[in-house]
Amino acid sequence: MPPASPAGIQDRNRHLADLLHACAQGRQTAFQALYREVSPQLFAVLVRILKRRDLAEEALQDALLSAWRNAGSYSAEKGTPMTWLVSICRYRALDMLRREKREVSLDTDQEDLDGEGQQVADGAMVTDAVNVSKAEERKLDDCMRRLNEGQQRSIRLAYVDGCTHEEIAAQVGSPVGTVKSWVRRGLESLKRCLEAA
Amino acid sequence: MNYSDPRLQNLLAGEYVLGLMRGAARRRCERLMMEMPSLASAVTAWEECFAAWASRLSPLQPPGYLEWRLMGRVRRESQPRGERLRNTFWRTWAVAATVVLALIIVTQKLTPTTEPKAAEFALMSDAKGTPLWLISVHPEARRVDMKVVTANPVPAGKSYELWMLPDGGKPVPMGLMNETGLASETVPPELLARLLAAKALAISLEPKGGSPTGQPTGPVLWVAPLVAS
Repeated sequence: MPPASPAGIQDRNRHLADLLHACAQGRQTAFQALYREVSPQLFAVLVRILKRRDLAEEALQDALLSAWRNAGSYSAEKGTPMTWLVSICRYRALDMLRREKREVSLDTDQEDLDGEGQQVADGAMVTDAVNVSKAEERKLDDCMRRLNEGQQRSIRLAYVDGCTHEEIAAQVGSPVGTVKSWVRRGLESLKRCLEAA
Repeated sequence: MNYSDPRLQNLLAGEYVLGLMRGAARRRCERLMMEMPSLASAVTAWEECFAAWASRLSPLQPPGYLEWRLMGRVRRESQPRGERLRNTFWRTWAVAATVVLALIIVTQKLTPTTEPKAAEFALMSDAKGTPLWLISVHPEARRVDMKVVTANPVPAGKSYELWMLPDGGKPVPMGLMNETGLASETVPPELLARLLAAKALAISLEPKGGSPTGQPTGPVLWVAPLVAS
């Protein structure tokens, strides 16, 4: 679905940004065009995370309605239009998942993160927003390949399938603590690798 | 915890984007993003980075009724405030009408009658909430009734066409809408089950005599959920 050439990608981003801009001015036809263009990709993301079509439909409707209401707040600093839309959808889906599992989950992340805070020393600067193009996609692939298998799988399962630490641990058959440190080390190495070159 | 540490920010941002932060931690991170632009841009950087994976999933077409439902919501939200107030009036009216309708149905249930009762209803209302048609499905008679509540003239050379929106799949043509009084359409047996399972009905504007393609060709003007009686 995404165009192959960088020029094609830029054209598409510009086109989607124009549609969002028109949505911000209240133009419903622009919203319909946007819906037709982006909904199959977004729906795929949502079905993958939520595993149920009815929930994915609800999430898509909520997310796109929120995109329509907040189209005016979109700007290039928030990433490409597709990234912005994918993020709205994913966070909506994650909220729905957490809501469904609320009674089961007990929040222990708080102390873990605080503990991690002490371990993290001062380091590399955070760069500004990266623009996705084929070259950057390749860079992500290359950098992912440098992580160990557990780190790779944990990060993928979290992003693509919306898995929690516990779910990842169950899938890869490792303790939750190991998964948590895989994710953190993985993210750090990934950042270092993405910033280099 | 020193949130201004770039490495920690990078980690927080990454876990936030991966969806691994939950509950209070997630909300706190969102609050921090508003206060710290550097954290917000670290989040965007991760979002942009991983979005490549989202774009690699094979696209999946959502069901057609989702677009119609969403456009209906957008249309309603776009109405000026005055209209929305009137809308509230009509919605109240519609609720009252539904209650009366329910009462009639209950009374009919109590009184033996030769006419089998309708199983499902849909009330088609315009953008302002004015009820236009009351559509009822009578499974035993294999019939759909369309009763004009408020007359709504068809533009010259056009027809209003009724569509069933099945749960998944394309809209199914159900016949043309009447402009006055009560009209009935017979439903073929194979369509009846799908109709009873359908979630909504819709009306589109078509060339006179109905859509030439078997799918809506003009704008979808009204959508209403099918509710069981």
